[in-house]
Amino acid sequence: MTHYNILIVDDEKRYANMLAKRLNLRGCVCEVCYSGKQALEIIKHKQFFLTLLDLRLPDIYGTEVLARMKACCAGMPVIILTAHGTQEDRQECLRKGAYAFMHKPLGIEALMLILARIRGMSA
Amino acid sequence: MTGNFRSILKLLRPDFYHQMDGHLNPYFTFANYNKIWTVGILVLALTALVPLITVTGIHYQLIQKSVDSELLLRTERLTSNARRAVTFFLEERLNALRFTVNEIEYTQLTNPAHLSDVLRNIKLGFGGLSDLSVISPTGAQVAYAGPYNIEGKNYSDQHWFIECRKNNYYVSEIFRGYRNVPHIIIAVKSFRADNTFFILRATLETERLIQTVISYETGKHADIFLVNRAGIIQTPSKHHGSIFEKMALLPALKYSPRTQTIMASDGQGQKIVGYAFISTPIADTPFILMVIKQKEGMMGVWEDLFSSISWFVALCVMAILIVVTITCTFMVNKMFLADKAKAETLALVEQNNQLASVGQLAAGVAHEINNPLALINETAGYIKDLFTIAETYHQDDELMENIDSILEAVERCGRITGQLLGFARKFDIKIENINLKEIISDILLFHNKEAEYRNIKVNVDMPEGNIEIESDRGKLQQILLNLVNNAFQAMNEGCRLDIIAKRKGLDSVVITICDNGCGMPEDTLPKIFEPFFSTKERGVGTGLGLAITSGLIKKLHGDISVKSKQDEGTTFTITLPIHTKEELRDNENSLGGR
Repeated sequence: MTHYNILIVDDEKRYANMLAKRLNLRGCVCEVCYSGKQALEIIKHKQFFLTLLDLRLPDIYGTEVLARMKACCAGMPVIILTAHGTQEDRQECLRKGAYAFMHKPLGIEALMLILARIRGMSA
Repeated sequence: MTGNFRSILKLLRPDFYHQMDGHLNPYFTFANYNKIWTVGILVLALTALVPLITVTGIHYQLIQKSVDSELLLRTERLTSNARRAVTFFLEERLNALRFTVNEIEYTQLTNPAHLSDVLRNIKLGFGGLSDLSVISPTGAQVAYAGPYNIEGKNYSDQHWFIECRKNNYYVSEIFRGYRNVPHIIIAVKSFRADNTFFILRATLETERLIQTVISYETGKHADIFLVNRAGIIQTPSKHHGSIFEKMALLPALKYSPRTQTIMASDGQGQKIVGYAFISTPIADTPFILMVIKQKEGMMGVWEDLFSSISWFVALCVMAILIVVTITCTFMVNKMFLADKAKAETLALVEQNNQLASVGQLAAGVAHEINNPLALINETAGYIKDLFTIAETYHQDDELMENIDSILEAVERCGRITGQLLGFARKFDIKIENINLKEIISDILLFHNKEAEYRNIKVNVDMPEGNIEIESDRGKLQQILLNLVNNAFQAMNEGCRLDIIAKRKGLDSVVITICDNGCGMPEDTLPKIFEPFFSTKERGVGTGLGLAITSGLIKKLHGDISVKSKQDEGTTFTITLPIHTKEELRDNENSLGGR
């Protein structure tokens, strides 16, 4: 199994850590950060296979983070993973280039399925 | 018969007369339409009637006044003419006597034969005289010519003799005297060369005078006659007493040289009285000419006119009242209906606002729950991962089962919050592809437990397989949820609910929701889609559910109908288009999905 390099951006620290652990168990390499600024800083220096992005971040709203990520790393897929997403958010994110818009709670299998699909596309 | 009458009365009754719907009261601008109606009619009727009645009253007074003055004027003219005639009659005869005493010597006058000649000549020239006599200063009758043998009488103590000696002329009232025949005495005093005097006296027949007076009588309501100054009737009167009796009606007559007219009244009604004191240039007379007219009789024409005017005014008043009532009823009813429509709209708006805030609340709750739910999900998932992937507890079936049940519960919670979010979005119109089977089972999720608990069998049947339609998810959810809710409220333990979806032609789908619950009386069926109509107990239903449902179906270009029988069940049939042309179509599709 290929080692996926995944960035998890979510201010719910325990959730982010737990998700990272589960993905690790499934052979992914995860990096966790808890704010938008941090995330934007990290992707400047490191390339990721995928980013899981929450919308309600303490510093910058998720849609804005998404736009900036797309500006610097257009090729990296970003999956929005939020508990609050409204229809407007959904449309905005998809317009700004999000790969998928998912609601929490999300089954790990569904997430793995998307990973497999992305891998299929990139392969 | 009475039933018919009642239904007609009910038809005539304006809408506002019926009692208002209690729960709409706070939204009405005016509370008491019956009062507005009454006040409106009163104000309008008064505004229209007061001027009409006032003008009619003034007109009536004016006409009465002018009629009165006309009557007085006519009476005065008549009295005046009659006075002139009576005065002339007496004056002529006094002048004849005066001419006789100035022209004929005393000695000749005392000659009976000559006196008889004189009498004959006067009778020829003037008429109305019956005898002549010459009286000496001592009152003794010196000569007499006439039909009565009363020669040699002495008149020294007689009133007329004393008066004539004093005033030179005398006119008596009508009296019977010695001869017992009504007559008038006129007398003229004359001086002889030796400065002694004598009196020439004549007796006048009353018939000529009576004829003169009566000739002025006009119409049956007028009475014209002479009285003396004491009010004793002198010539025949039609209505006011016999000759030599005191006049029945006697107003206070003030002496005046001119003709007078006054209004007087006795027991028989109002009278117009004209009177004139008769007086010749040379002698005063005791006569007063009376003209009495009965006002009522004279007013006949005017009273006919007034009666026609009264009828006309009464008809006008009736017409005004009817028009005012109809106009007022119409206007107040229009006002009431507009107000009612406004109240219903306000109530609906408030209801919608409440629903909207319930939706917002649901969305908020769902969002807040989702985060901890996600954490539970991941934690439990991680534990499971530990067991499965690390293989330490791989063989422990019971642990695995428990963790699976946690995960299943989380999944169910997630589905419910997802639905709550769906409801929150129902106020936007978003057309998307909807899987009917999915949406129906989503709705039934809310009732699974209840159905199980109440032993209600729910059967979803799609004989032609699954159907996808283009519609608004939120609205369709609400429509189905409302109808399923209604069905569950109508059903008792052990009942059965069938939901059947079938294609109808190429463009539409028919969804039938059929329960065998308590049903509804047939006569209420036409009303159930009206706002605020509820067959449920007061306070249980808002009466809005089916109204909103039918409104939503219309918005989706669909149609709803109902069949129901008391105690047998109810069937709602919804027809919806499969393809909806809507500009605001939601083209966004996310990958993956939930």
